[in-house]
Amino acid sequence: MTTLIRVSDLKKTYQTGSVRFEALRGISLDVQSGDFSAIMGQSGSGKSTLMHIVGGLDKPTSGSVRVGEHTLETMSETQLAIFRRSQVGFVFQFFNLVENLSVQANVELPALLAGGWNRREIRKRSAELLERLGIASQAGKHPWELSGGQQQRVAIARAFINQPMLLLADEPTGNLDSASGDEVLKILKEFNQQGQTILMVTHSAQAAAWAKTVLFIQDGLLVDRMDGGDEKSIAQRLVDLR
Amino acid sequence: MSAVWQKIWADLLHRRMVSLLIIGTIAAAAALFTLALTTLFNLEAPYDKSHAELNGAHLWLHFKPQRVRAMDIRQIEELPEVAASTGRQYSYSSQVYFEDTRAPVSLRVTPIEPPRVNRLRLLSGRFIQPEADEVLISRDMRDIYQLSVGQFVEITRSDGQRVELPIVGIVYDPMYDSYRASLPPYVYVSEHLLFSLFPDKSAWEWSLGLRLKDPESVAVVVDKIQSMRNLELVNDYTDWHDVRSSAIFDAQMAFIFLSAFSFFAILATVLIIVSIISSTVLAQIKQIGTLKAIGFTGRQILSVYVGQYVFMSLVGTALGYTLGLAMAPLPMRTITMSLNTSYQPPFNGWSLMAVFLVIPGITILSALGAAYRGARVNIIKAIAIGAEAPARKTFWLARLAERMGAPMPFVLGFNDVFVKPFRSLLAMVNLTIGVMGMVFGLALTGTIETYRQNPALLGIVYDAIVTRQETSDIRTQRLLAQTPGVEAFYGETLLEAETLNGQSLNLRAVEGQLSAFPFVVEDGRFFQPGSNEAMAGKGLLDWLGLKVGDSITLILDKDKGTKVTFQIVGEYPEPADAGQRLMVNLSSVSPLLKHTNPGTYYLKLVQSAKPDEIRSFIAPRRDSDLNFTLLEDIVPDTNYLQLAIFMLAAILIGIAIVNILIMSLLSAQENLRVVGIIKTIGMTPAQVVIMFSTTAAFLGLLAIVAGIPAGLVLTRNLLNFMASFTGFGRIAISLDTLTIIGLIPFALFISILGSFLPARWAAHLQIVEVLRRE
Ligand SMILES: Nc1ncnc2c1ncn2[C@@H]1O[C@H](COP(=O)(O)OP(=O)(O)OP(=O)(O)O)[C@@H](O)[C@H]1O
Ligand SMILES: [Mg+2]
Repeated sequence: MTTLIRVSDLKKTYQTGSVRFEALRGISLDVQSGDFSAIMGQSGSGKSTLMHIVGGLDKPTSGSVRVGEHTLETMSETQLAIFRRSQVGFVFQFFNLVENLSVQANVELPALLAGGWNRREIRKRSAELLERLGIASQAGKHPWELSGGQQQRVAIARAFINQPMLLLADEPTGNLDSASGDEVLKILKEFNQQGQTILMVTHSAQAAAWAKTVLFIQDGLLVDRMDGGDEKSIAQRLVDLR
Repeated sequence: MSAVWQKIWADLLHRRMVSLLIIGTIAAAAALFTLALTTLFNLEAPYDKSHAELNGAHLWLHFKPQRVRAMDIRQIEELPEVAASTGRQYSYSSQVYFEDTRAPVSLRVTPIEPPRVNRLRLLSGRFIQPEADEVLISRDMRDIYQLSVGQFVEITRSDGQRVELPIVGIVYDPMYDSYRASLPPYVYVSEHLLFSLFPDKSAWEWSLGLRLKDPESVAVVVDKIQSMRNLELVNDYTDWHDVRSSAIFDAQMAFIFLSAFSFFAILATVLIIVSIISSTVLAQIKQIGTLKAIGFTGRQILSVYVGQYVFMSLVGTALGYTLGLAMAPLPMRTITMSLNTSYQPPFNGWSLMAVFLVIPGITILSALGAAYRGARVNIIKAIAIGAEAPARKTFWLARLAERMGAPMPFVLGFNDVFVKPFRSLLAMVNLTIGVMGMVFGLALTGTIETYRQNPALLGIVYDAIVTRQETSDIRTQRLLAQTPGVEAFYGETLLEAETLNGQSLNLRAVEGQLSAFPFVVEDGRFFQPGSNEAMAGKGLLDWLGLKVGDSITLILDKDKGTKVTFQIVGEYPEPADAGQRLMVNLSSVSPLLKHTNPGTYYLKLVQSAKPDEIRSFIAPRRDSDLNFTLLEDIVPDTNYLQLAIFMLAAILIGIAIVNILIMSLLSAQENLRVVGIIKTIGMTPAQVVIMFSTTAAFLGLLAIVAGIPAGLVLTRNLLNFMASFTGFGRIAISLDTLTIIGLIPFALFISILGSFLPARWAAHLQIVEVLRRE
């Protein structure tokens, strides 16, 4: 297996007025291609910050992030945008769908923005994805007309439309009941089994148990990692770390 | 209540950018409003204000030389209707010379101390010094002969010697009637100087200015004076009403155009505020839903929003008012100078109160309206989708663009127009006001220019005027017929007439080569030579309730009861007497009256005519009684008006541009989250800019399509509405097609430019920041 993500000595400092806050204090980690990693840690430990930097949404204060052959800290805003739409899919806790577009339009948007694709092909792909995620019948609706679980599935479909090499999910089940949460995780697992690399932030040991690797972050530092593990052992490790 | 206060402050501070923009808009609107009020204020009854300020006389009596005694004057001053008097005033009819011009003037003694009644207003220079050999000239003198302070005039003393006297000041006399001028322009001197020039005091003329207790009692007083002695004392008198209506003609162009501007500005102010405030409150509806969800009552929600807008509107109004005060002197000074009023500084209790009542009032009303709507919406719906549900269907234009393979940012841009139609409508209203403002400004300047180029539209169809005194009519006509450079001429006698109801009016009785002159007939047709047909000014028709086709019977000579009936066959633009004149064939009245020979001749000159040659042909000797005046010297100068309109239009357009900028910043702000999401999934900064510009260009185009015709219609109606107060004829708007065509790319450019800054700002927005919000 090849290394898809290499993060070395990554630091991120937020400056609010005269107050400096170190959200990431020198994180180094590798993610192999085809991996399904969960990131765990207390609220405020820097999980989202790490995800955002890896996804090219934010810039590090220092350190380096390599995704595939892209060295993110050297890239311009436009290059990062193109990187995001071609290489990365995002799924967020609050879905972040575009309210004024239909489900289908939301899913197709990244492909259409990228251009180059044949429209008929895009339509076919989006239909396939919606079918696969069980929301084909909702294609014409608008996001506010769907339940949370349905909206999250739309977000997942949108994340996959451009066949990204990396899927980033920040608490994808945080806003869902456990049944819909499990469905979402099942879908992610299936994609992973077909070779999709996934990096997922979660608070729930139950969710983390779906991953192959679990990374533990505390106060902006990577403090531990577990390869495989059931819900119980993950929960125990979390308690130990406190 | 403290929760409400907390929320108000939190909102103001948290949404600092939006708060600042709203304050900016309110400030711009308040500035415009202040400017409009100041304009109206300075235009309002300029003559009456001047007259009051100068404590003007209501009646000015010019006595017949030698007939009046000091005792008569005292008796007149003691009439119960008289409030105050100027005391006996001396004058002497003479002529002054400068360069090659000879001008008949009335030399008038002006007291060294400013008098209590009928003071003069100094327009430039200074008043005269006691015993100094210097003169003041009247404003009419300045305008007719283009004289200025520092120049010299020559007077021939009674011993035949010439003396040169410097002009040290130009003054305005509230009782000099420049239209009905039976007296030549005034030159003011000290008594000392007049005595040294013309020592024979018995040749001096006497006059007297009276201020009346009731300004409307002029006629009563005149009757009383006429019946005081067996002899006729009074040669001529000036009634303040006449001076006033002449002054109003001078002011009417300014009045029409500037008041139209002001009303437009007021309208724009209201629309700008309503659209901006409603669209911001609507953008906050989601929040309103959340507030309701956590237990705010409807009243508390209203308090939160009203509180915010009270604060913002007060700050904005204070800023705008100050800005308006700072800008106002620019256009106003030129206007008031030409209206002979003193400049009224815009700062006063009234304008302060009006601005601070109207601007915050409208702001709060629109906020209330929108918040009230918001407070009533279903909580769940408000939280989920805000004020209005996004359109279900993709906008057809977006679908079309997509089908034609347009890049996604264009498609999204088009779609944005119709996603929230109400918000887009408000934005479009704003843009449309901007376009209308431009059309309005351009149409006003264009129209003034047209009237300047073609004075016939104002009823001024001639190039020059010749007046005679001793030379006979026949001799004058013969002379004019031979004058090189004169293409055609007609003579005119001005007659006074009265309707059967006792309304008095002036009649232009004309004869000559009328068909050679470019008379403008606004309705009906020109009268047939030799017939009893007449043309009337619009003011006359309105005044007497007549229309073209009616006939009118007038009494020409009260003593003899001479009557004549005219058939009104047309309407023409009459520049004098607020349009309350009639133009008739001289031949229809000359058999009925004694002295009807024309005293004034209107000339049409050939293109290559040389005014100086004509002047020296008509009046070769310096003491000739024929006087030649070129049109350019008497038509009121519209330069100042054009300048003022131009400045006001520039301010209006400037404010419109700022407003467009603010509007698109607001809508960018509102779309922030969507931009954040789309950027997350890979929209590049350039694509963001394209998306915004597409929306802006499309809205701009709609605004142009709506704004140009709407602007033209509004301009026409507003001008004609204002014109209807002055008896002025119809005003034809002129705005050439080229300007309109040029306006289209300009307005588009402005609209895209307005969206460009916000688009760039959105394009480079920190995505993470946006996503963290909510
Ligand atoms: N823009 C910002 N300015 C200042 N501090 C910030 C900013 N964004 C994040 N932080 C701080 O950085 C730290 C890490 O934030 P981050 O969102 O990465 O935490 P997290 O691990 O994702 O927490 P949670 O589990 O609650 O989502 C937090 O303490 C947060 O307060
Ligand atoms: Mg987080």
